[in-house]
Amino acid sequence: MTNTKADIKAVSNTARGNILAKLKAEVNGADYKKLPEEVSFNYPKFSREENLAQFISELEKNHAQVIKTTKENMAEVISEQLKVLNITKLLYGENDSHREVINALDSKVDLQAYDFSIDNNKEMLFNECPAALSTSRCSIAATGSIVLWPDENEPRSLTLVPPVHLVIVDANELHADFASLMTSQQWQDKLPTNVVLVSGPSKTADIQQTLAYGAHGPKALIVLLINI
Amino acid sequence: MKHIIEEESKYVASAKAFRANVTRDLGNEELRSNFRGAMDYLMDKRKGAFSSEDELEVLREQCKLIKQRCLAKLPHLLEQLEGNLEKNGIKVHWAETITEANEIIAQLIAQKKGKSVVKGKSMVSEETALNDYLEERNVECLESDMGEYIVQLAKEHPSHIIMPAIHQNKKQVAKLFADNIDGFEYSTDVDTLIQQGREVLRNKFCQADVGISGVNFAVAETGTLCLVENEGNGRMCTTIPDLHIAITGIEKVIEHLADVPPLLSLLTRSATGQAISTYFNMISSPRKLGEKDGPEEVHLVLLDNGRSQAFADEELKQTLQCIRCGACMNHCPVYTRIGGHAYGTVYPGPIGKMISPHMLGLEATTNLPTASTLCGACGEVCPVKIPIPKILLRLRQESVKPKSQQPQVMKGQGAGRNNVEALIWKVWAQVHKSPTMYALSMWGLTRFRFLMPKKLGGWTSVRTAPKPAATTLHQRINAKQKKTQQSQQERG
Ligand code: SF4
Repeated sequence: MTNTKADIKAVSNTARGNILAKLKAEVNGADYKKLPEEVSFNYPKFSREENLAQFISELEKNHAQVIKTTKENMAEVISEQLKVLNITKLLYGENDSHREVINALDSKVDLQAYDFSIDNNKEMLFNECPAALSTSRCSIAATGSIVLWPDENEPRSLTLVPPVHLVIVDANELHADFASLMTSQQWQDKLPTNVVLVSGPSKTADIQQTLAYGAHGPKALIVLLINI
Repeated sequence: MKHIIEEESKYVASAKAFRANVTRDLGNEELRSNFRGAMDYLMDKRKGAFSSEDELEVLREQCKLIKQRCLAKLPHLLEQLEGNLEKNGIKVHWAETITEANEIIAQLIAQKKGKSVVKGKSMVSEETALNDYLEERNVECLESDMGEYIVQLAKEHPSHIIMPAIHQNKKQVAKLFADNIDGFEYSTDVDTLIQQGREVLRNKFCQADVGISGVNFAVAETGTLCLVENEGNGRMCTTIPDLHIAITGIEKVIEHLADVPPLLSLLTRSATGQAISTYFNMISSPRKLGEKDGPEEVHLVLLDNGRSQAFADEELKQTLQCIRCGACMNHCPVYTRIGGHAYGTVYPGPIGKMISPHMLGLEATTNLPTASTLCGACGEVCPVKIPIPKILLRLRQESVKPKSQQPQVMKGQGAGRNNVEALIWKVWAQVHKSPTMYALSMWGLTRFRFLMPKKLGGWTSVRTAPKPAATTLHQRINAKQKKTQQSQQERG
């Protein structure tokens, strides 16, 4: 085992050859045009209002807090929420779309931009960031899901590590269901490093089927819904 | 490697001990009530999750066809998946056996000088007994799913594939925490217990250098690994440490991204009755230039471990449609009574009875396919319409076939064959093929019925022995018809 790297490469290559050979022997000559036609369920079409109502009710059922607001009022709403929770510090991603909100918050809370690499800052991220603010790409009515599309400005851990997650959701970007969302935006053409659908605060029912919130991710999910 | 061979034989031994395990666990009232409560809860949840019978049935048909298409194209999809993952920067490794998978993972960790691992829920890593393998190599391996964490503290294995600690109640968990976590003040309040677990595990996420996870769907078209979870530990394991290793069975690959929504919807609703899980996590690459977090390296280990054996048989292949929702266990009267540990295998319940024989061979698992009443509940709820009872019957046949009969479909074919039993059935078949022999045997049976033994093995352990009647059914019907005719004639 002097050259460990070559070792597992060889193991993997042999395994690959054997597995694929076995599987291919079985599907040899298969005519994929003959596969049966697939069915799908026709979900009723809903109006914008119905979709919104469904979105909010699903989120609330899952213990998320939904606040209808406007871009103008948002800073006020956020600072009120933080006050209630006794939180004075907010981590945020440097994203142009909510620059004004951040500016307006400046005098109200202790702001911290996520402008650092996680590598030497894990302790700080885990222990000194009680709340985070992020944007979202769009959302899904049927399941009350918010689509996070992390990037350089809004890293993946921004919406995961701080115990309170405030997320801005634009009602104009609400889609009926996951399937129609993916097709309309052609996700198959280009996916980023990571996409996450979030449908509530972190939870578990692993102890005697009793639901408890705040298992590992955020204990609270506060949805700031705009453009209703 | 020595250790892992012992691991393998440990699983074989525990599967073989099925009957003894059953007797042990049936006698444990606390365990039985924990399972009864949990199964009732899960069945109720699933029932309430579908808008109509119609929606459920269409979705099941759709998902069955999706999985069958993906299996029909399996080798090509695996190659496509590999190509796209590598293009995205995710390294792919292949393993035929659990030892190979463990060794690959151990070396990937060693190359990074990794010392501590946090794991998201992964049944495939249970299948390979990865924790033990790594611990032997001085790598700390901590389960981070709350249920798995509890099970690991208790030095046990999961008793359910979705809810690993379902066999424990909160009092038992509280005791476990009190015994194992410094400074924990005994409490049976579930919120307190979860917050305690959270504190311990958050520290570990912060410090771990490796994250290991399973995969629910691997999308070939885009090279994307999808993870379904509620707790956020899966996101932690795949986001915070520098190295992320995912491990999955080769059957988890699906063709299109568009296949995801129906499968996901049916998976979460069948499993826990949720419209969707709290998190649906789609990973398509390691950290890119300029990104501030995420692992620098992402690897996927594709494991066979008997799956290609099932693949080679048209009927048994359907086993691989499974999306591991656990609904078949939740609805199984046998599982509910004996619990998950009695099976002695990593996957318990109906899915375990179908898949374990491919992983461990029929010698070790002869009893499993017979541990079913064939009531059909599992097949009725299975979201991908696997005809589970039929497959169990088929496995029973494979296990009583002559050992040398060709073609050999299963490892351990004929392991359950009993020559006396085989002979009895052979004679029985002959007798029923020939009218003369049949008449003769009936003549003998009715006359010599007093020779019937009082004890008939397992049959009479809880029942009295059957005794042939003095007259055959034919004779009785004839006699009755004669009597009716006579009385009709008399009246006429
Ligand atoms: S066999 Fe069917 S019901 Fe059982 S776990 Fe698999 S998909 Fe679910």
